[in-house]
Amino acid sequence: MSPAAHAFSSYDVLLLLKGFLTTFALALIGCLTGFALGFVAALLRSTRSPEMAPLRAALAAYALAFRRIPFLVTLMLVFFASQAMNANLSTFTVALVSICLIAAAYLSEIARGGLESVHRNQWQAARALNFSHWQTLRYVVVPQAWRVIVPPTFGFFVMFIKDTALASQIGVMELTSAGKVLGNKGLPEALVYGTILMLYFLLSYPLSRLGKHLEHRLAAAGNR
Amino acid sequence: MTLQFGPILEQWPYLLGGAWLSLQIAVLAFACGMLIGLLCASILQYGPSSMRRIVGAYVTFATNTPQLVQIFFLFYGLPEVGVTLSPFTAVLMGATFNAGAYLCEIQRSGFASVKHAELESAAVLGFSRMQIIRHVTFPHVMKVMFPPLSNQFIVMTLGTSMASIFGVEELTGRIDNLGAETYLSVEAFLVAAVLYIAITLLATWLLTLYGRSVCRARMDIL
Repeated sequence: MSPAAHAFSSYDVLLLLKGFLTTFALALIGCLTGFALGFVAALLRSTRSPEMAPLRAALAAYALAFRRIPFLVTLMLVFFASQAMNANLSTFTVALVSICLIAAAYLSEIARGGLESVHRNQWQAARALNFSHWQTLRYVVVPQAWRVIVPPTFGFFVMFIKDTALASQIGVMELTSAGKVLGNKGLPEALVYGTILMLYFLLSYPLSRLGKHLEHRLAAAGNR
Repeated sequence: MTLQFGPILEQWPYLLGGAWLSLQIAVLAFACGMLIGLLCASILQYGPSSMRRIVGAYVTFATNTPQLVQIFFLFYGLPEVGVTLSPFTAVLMGATFNAGAYLCEIQRSGFASVKHAELESAAVLGFSRMQIIRHVTFPHVMKVMFPPLSNQFIVMTLGTSMASIFGVEELTGRIDNLGAETYLSVEAFLVAAVLYIAITLLATWLLTLYGRSVCRARMDIL
């Protein structure tokens, strides 16, 4: 039998499994919500009307700022702010809100890049056909842009999985916290953290492979 | 709830010192990571297949696991085999280990972007090997690599904030201290957020200016 099987009791394995699922749930919900918010932000930023200008500027500033704050600082900020406002949020919710905040910022930039990757001629042609802005997006731009948007989104999904490790700092029982608990129980730390690293790898490697695969498959068609 | 920034902002020399330490960690890890990345990229390009496989495994592993847990492993795991690292060293090693993999990827694709015909025409024109590297490969590679490299540097600067978890008193660590002392954690972390935005904006701006003028990289000014 391997030394790992000797070291980990069934309780430990259960703890690791729970941590694994919590990490995955944090990253998945955060990424999906962030994607939805970011996509809407990118659509709003693609408008050209002057009355939308303040909103566009605010969304641009948001995307600029939240990609430049370390995740740990965002996490602590949301954590202390929720405490100061006496909002009775669980640490899981705090971590989730933080992930959504940064995911929306990163993914809105990706979605914006995707929309802008569609050639200008396409926008102009749609306009010449008397499409409204939303019709242009719906029938011309988005069907072409999603090829550019989807592959890097997987890259960021993997990034968010790795970032959730920091949620252990505010006490969310995810994979890294499970490792800390096992380490404090007196199990060999190298073994514990080695196992944790492998579990993170198991989670993110298939996703990054899928992202690379999609990149190769979707990149072939150029937008002109 | 009223926000009081006074007691935090009063301590600006302390915070600037922390920011300086953050930048130092980022620059050191970036420089070491560049060397490791260059070595790994050369192995991927020219090395024997067994070495290539090892380097490939390193890059895949390091880019698919969290830097925080990598540092945990170094900091808590290594003492069991008799290697005790100071928090600063552990953080620096973890950041370098992580950066090496990403910088290897960037440099590999940078070198791959040099067209074979360009090297051949340089050879036909009688350039020596060193001249080809100096006048053909290097300018071309820098032009392609500079934007992702500067992006990676910004990501690493943000990543240094996790050093605070191990007790290194860089910007986040000092913000944490101030927040605990003054009971103004919200204000402290707001200040931290603004400082990080300012530092990375300044860094991006300087790197963009340098990249556009010296490396002729295509970069937008923000």
